[in-house]
Amino acid sequence: MIRDSLRFFDKLAFTVLLALAISGLVLIYSASHSLVYNTYFSRQVLWFFIVVIVFFIVYRLKTELVFDYSFPVYVGLVALLALQLIVGTIIAGTKSWIKVSFFSVQVSEFIKIPLALYLAKTVTKITLIDWRSYSRLLTIVGIPFLLIALQPDLGTAFMLCSFLLIIAFLKKIRTVIIVFTLVTIAAGGFIGYNYLLKPYQKDRIISFLNPEKYKKSSGYQIIQSKIAVGSGGLVGKGYLNGTQSQYKFLPTRQTDFVVAVLGEEFGFLGISFLFVLFFLLFYRQFNIKVQSDEEFYYVYFFNGLILFQFLVNILMSVGYFPIMGVPLPFVSYGGSSLLSFFIGEALIFRIKANPFLND
Amino acid sequence: MYTEKRRLTSQDVKRISIIANIIIISLFIVLLFLFWNIQILKNQHYAKLATGNVRKEIIIKAPRGMILDRNHERLSENKISFNLVLIPDYTENLNRAIDTAARLTGMTKKEVNDTIEKYKDFSKSYAIPLKKDLTLAKAIYIESRADELPGFEINIEPVRDYPYEGMASHILGYISELTPRELEKKMTEGYRLGDVIGKSGVERTYEQKLRGVDGAKNVEKDNLGKIRVVLGEAQPTIGNTVVLTIDMELQKFIEEIFKEYNGAIGVVDLKTGGILAMVSTPNFNPEFFSGVMEKTQWEALVNDPAKPLQNKFVQSLYLPGSTFKVVMALAALQENIIQFSTTSLCSGVIDIYDRQFHCWNRGGHGNMDLYEAIANSCNIYFYRLGKRMDIDTIAQYAKMMGLGQPTGIDLPNEKAGIFPTRAWKLKTLKQKWFAGDTVSVAIGGGLIQVTPAQILSMISAVALRGRTPQLHLVKQIEKDGLVIEEFQPQFREVPISRENFEIVIEGLYRVVNENGTGKAGKIESLDICGKTGTQLILSLENPRYEQLVKQKRFTPHSWFASFAPRYNPEVAMVVFIENGGEAGAVAVPIAKKIYQKIFNRQ
Repeated sequence: MIRDSLRFFDKLAFTVLLALAISGLVLIYSASHSLVYNTYFSRQVLWFFIVVIVFFIVYRLKTELVFDYSFPVYVGLVALLALQLIVGTIIAGTKSWIKVSFFSVQVSEFIKIPLALYLAKTVTKITLIDWRSYSRLLTIVGIPFLLIALQPDLGTAFMLCSFLLIIAFLKKIRTVIIVFTLVTIAAGGFIGYNYLLKPYQKDRIISFLNPEKYKKSSGYQIIQSKIAVGSGGLVGKGYLNGTQSQYKFLPTRQTDFVVAVLGEEFGFLGISFLFVLFFLLFYRQFNIKVQSDEEFYYVYFFNGLILFQFLVNILMSVGYFPIMGVPLPFVSYGGSSLLSFFIGEALIFRIKANPFLND
Repeated sequence: MYTEKRRLTSQDVKRISIIANIIIISLFIVLLFLFWNIQILKNQHYAKLATGNVRKEIIIKAPRGMILDRNHERLSENKISFNLVLIPDYTENLNRAIDTAARLTGMTKKEVNDTIEKYKDFSKSYAIPLKKDLTLAKAIYIESRADELPGFEINIEPVRDYPYEGMASHILGYISELTPRELEKKMTEGYRLGDVIGKSGVERTYEQKLRGVDGAKNVEKDNLGKIRVVLGEAQPTIGNTVVLTIDMELQKFIEEIFKEYNGAIGVVDLKTGGILAMVSTPNFNPEFFSGVMEKTQWEALVNDPAKPLQNKFVQSLYLPGSTFKVVMALAALQENIIQFSTTSLCSGVIDIYDRQFHCWNRGGHGNMDLYEAIANSCNIYFYRLGKRMDIDTIAQYAKMMGLGQPTGIDLPNEKAGIFPTRAWKLKTLKQKWFAGDTVSVAIGGGLIQVTPAQILSMISAVALRGRTPQLHLVKQIEKDGLVIEEFQPQFREVPISRENFEIVIEGLYRVVNENGTGKAGKIESLDICGKTGTQLILSLENPRYEQLVKQKRFTPHSWFASFAPRYNPEVAMVVFIENGGEAGAVAVPIAKKIYQKIFNRQ
């Protein structure tokens, strides 16, 4: 089994993953080396090794087993999210972190794996999306969505919705449901914007449309990020030489705006390199042979999620999307994000390595 | 096993994956295009913004040049001031920064807000001065917490210091920050907001010499305004040193004996025309203007009836009183209306044009020649001269002697004063000239208005027998200890014969030395010549004269214009005291003390 699994291991895709994570380390070092209490880089290096080990552990799990356990794991994580919310309400302050000794673990980052698996399992049984299956899917995504949105971490919550979009792309849906959904989104967006969003969340959305007006507040990030990327030119200002990055004009540059550091210090060539890596990843991971429908759906769900998050992060960095606060998969600082994406990918590697499909 | 789970046909999978691939490829093409646009096509635009973010120019203010007395005593120099400035761009939250500023400076939030408001049209990266002259302890406190106080900086700036405090304030003048209106006009000369400019005195007249050239430092600053790299630095150049003709020892002496009075004193070196001492009382402390002045302080200075901000030596106009008799005598002699021996009888009162004119000596002086008339300052003698002379002729001589026109001294806002003529009266007052007007003018009354500086210029011309020295305060300009500009003495010839000057000088000698009105000024070993003037505020014809004259505001102004020694004169002096009283009893003794100090005689 081990020999088989290594024989059919996609070395190119794995190299791409490592290249992305190492690029991340390089950029995180640049973004944080001048900070006085800098633990970002060393923490991420440690995470990197943990993640690689976990990747191979997960890679060796049996696919069927993973699908079978997806529901209980999903329920467990939802329960943890709920618990976090309750405890967090009692102990005021940040709610999205559960402290595990040296590291902090973000449960909301991990829910996407059992969610993708369980959705794949569910969708397999559905031929046409009618009201019944529609409400079922909405419930499965909606519960963690709400729990995460209430933390409040709208960016991460919003990323879960990408699963629904992928379902819409893959499945036949009754026209009335499509109409209903669009109307509900429009109405919900209106009500949510006017009554539910906090002022700073609204500012983020509006400032994206007119950053100059919000230059001193929420528009600042967008402006500074665009300046960083734009001033990089073709080859960039050189590693550790970007004024926007090194003089801290770039906000959250080791997480959400890591692309701006890349764009500034390595220029258009650096950006192109990143795009090539992601393109290779998607090319290798989307076009695979599968053994079952649920595997097929899972591959599309998880790769789709990566694609969406990649797009949102990249577009947000240059002002073409509201600031969502989502990290760039595999690259941005953050152990939970790195780990969850590698675990999700490990399952796809496992699916690809099935000896029955590789003869 | 897996076949039963399969509902997707291989065609389905193929179709989906083709669409997915098309979507992904087009997405990446769009993304590459987007970044090409931002990074390559708009690179210059963003590169400029990035440079603008970090590259900052820090102005290093140049120290102003020093002002020294003739012996190189420092009258005005520089000291270091620690100023708190706020750069809005580097604050995280301006409102919180305002709270912090109020806490750091002890100002109210409103005051801080008002200060910031003044600079609202400026770039957000402009360093707004919040408070000047912080204590060293406070400056260190703030500087050491720079990381916790984003946007706040301590600027070290040279500020004016006056070692003699309030002394010589009307000579030195004061400096203060340019007002926004002044700034508009001065922008082309390189002045910036927050710069100071000389507002009065030598500080103002010699602004261009004293002002240095600011330096600049080109740096890269991070988002919190911390300097990361210094790219280049241009050192500031200190302004030139201005050396005055003033003798600070004499100046100090005069200020001390004169501080209780309200008036002006000027002493000139007759060899050069350089002012040795110049006092106008009450004075002010120029340091007031360098720091932050309270509105009430300013109002108190401006509204003080004794006008401490006005330099009475050149900016206040008075009637010359009997000192004008010097000019009258010269004019009458030169016009051959009288000789020194021409006598006249004073009985204390005279009728001219059906009007009674009194002598200050109501008992009358008896029969007097010109010498005696000058020595005793007899009004009747000069009334008669006024009756025999034409006003325009008198005016011509007055002009020759420098009255009714600025002396041209190097001080700002010098007043010209007035010497009336027929044409002037018709034009200004729309009235004909009356013969009676000339009679008043003859004893230094009527419509004449002169400054003490003009009287000093006049008496100097007499002392030098017809050569009027150009009065001036600045001896030379120095740079790095070397003289780069020197004031050359200038004299203007007065077309009056030397004999006539000698006649008048004999009269002036008698004023002090032969029982005249200035006898209180006599010093045994020094021949002082001078003319007193007790300028009445009330008319002698006023029936309540004796009663009212005791009130301070009706007390006569007191003049004494003099020079010494009689031959080869060295110094000339004017002493003027507002509502001082009898000149011989007030102005003359002060002049005597000054002569004693200058010539070191008892």
